[in-house]
Amino acid sequence: MMPTPPSPAAQPTGPTGNAWVPIPFTVVRRRREIPGTVTLWLAPPEGYPFAFRPGQFNMLYVFGVKEVPISISGDPGTPVPVAHTIRQVGMATQALVNLKPGDVVGVRGPFGSAWPLEHARGHDVVIVAGGIGLAPLRPAIYSLLRHRPQYGNVVLLYGARSPRELLYARELERWRGRFDMEVLVTVDRGDRTWHGHVGVVTTLFPQADVFFSPQNTIAFICGPEIMMRFTVRELLDRGVPPERIFVSLERNMHCGQGLCGHCQYGPFFICKDGPVFPYQKLATLFGIREI
Amino acid sequence: MSAETVADLVTRLEQHPFTQGFPTSALDKLTQAATLQTFQPGTFLLREGRDADHFYLLLQGQAAIELYLPERGVIRLQTVGPGDVVGWSWLLPPYRAAFDVTVINTVQAITFDAARLRRLLDDDPTLAAHFLRRLVAVIAQRVHATRLQLIDMYAVKGGRP
Repeated sequence: MMPTPPSPAAQPTGPTGNAWVPIPFTVVRRRREIPGTVTLWLAPPEGYPFAFRPGQFNMLYVFGVKEVPISISGDPGTPVPVAHTIRQVGMATQALVNLKPGDVVGVRGPFGSAWPLEHARGHDVVIVAGGIGLAPLRPAIYSLLRHRPQYGNVVLLYGARSPRELLYARELERWRGRFDMEVLVTVDRGDRTWHGHVGVVTTLFPQADVFFSPQNTIAFICGPEIMMRFTVRELLDRGVPPERIFVSLERNMHCGQGLCGHCQYGPFFICKDGPVFPYQKLATLFGIREI
Repeated sequence: MSAETVADLVTRLEQHPFTQGFPTSALDKLTQAATLQTFQPGTFLLREGRDADHFYLLLQGQAAIELYLPERGVIRLQTVGPGDVVGWSWLLPPYRAAFDVTVINTVQAITFDAARLRRLLDDDPTLAAHFLRRLVAVIAQRVHATRLQLIDMYAVKGGRP
């Protein structure tokens, strides 16, 4: 019997069916994004209904190697084939990055909480992404743009290490070309061929200030934890209410259901309670060395 | 300098984040060392190792703080734009610029003659206090940003793969 697919409706969303059994998905497309990073599109078995909410992740199992949590980076409006943008950082991700169309990978999920797009309605939305952190935010951007009239100003601040490490560069150009979205991009290091902004992502805020009204803003942040901490400070300094700042955390997720304890973060399990958290929940934990 | 030019400079100083909120008397004094200038792309506002004889408040355009490394070429360390300031090496001996600052897009700036500006600050402790407080804030922001750059936070495990 086909295992029951996880429900995409609840938040956090956990599989209600057999969440322990990886379903064999087939790689149907592969695109190299930036050095060491590819996007894989995975097709489920025929008749397996897969849906997800922006911000959720799947556990991807390279048979015989290891299972790793990978954010879903595609459009929730067209959830299959499922897009995952993967950066090579270890053995399992190296194996994933090397997969080719026709290869099979085990998929469990989707797991975890989602970006609260329903709470963003009527608000300005500030999205701050760093490096590969743009991948878990891309589904939220797709959703925002699909239902664009429901939101106030939409502003994306994106920082990467260098111009050649800008993820989804063509899409950034396309978004920048829209008249209903502001896209500000920076790199930590540039050269003479780069005519854009140089500086860490927080240095974009003075430019971005004119595009959002802090009291009426909801913010979504994803990137290295240090980047998120400093971004939260910038937003708080500007008067964005702490309850409307959301961050996506990364830990060593294994079971995806808050049972194994690998991804424990203070009183939370990132896989079950997160990865998307309201900052207010984490305010006392953020930056504590022991956690 | 005509009265009109002085009035225009005072207005621009009132609007620039660096000098916003300064007493009018302080702004009036600052105009004694200031001129409004335009710089074309490719020109240098400062050159590494040369006299740091100007201080700039950027009104329009974009410039880059750069460093030339043999065999690696020019590294663009930071870009600055409207509302930013350029240069603080003029404040302390030996008044020598530490980096190149190159114009990327045509820059309009209030340019201060460094020697005259130093004299103005020396002669007026109140003006110096206002000025240096703002300059320290700018330096602190730059130091914070530089520390984050030093971490190279996207290098190894920058976010969920």
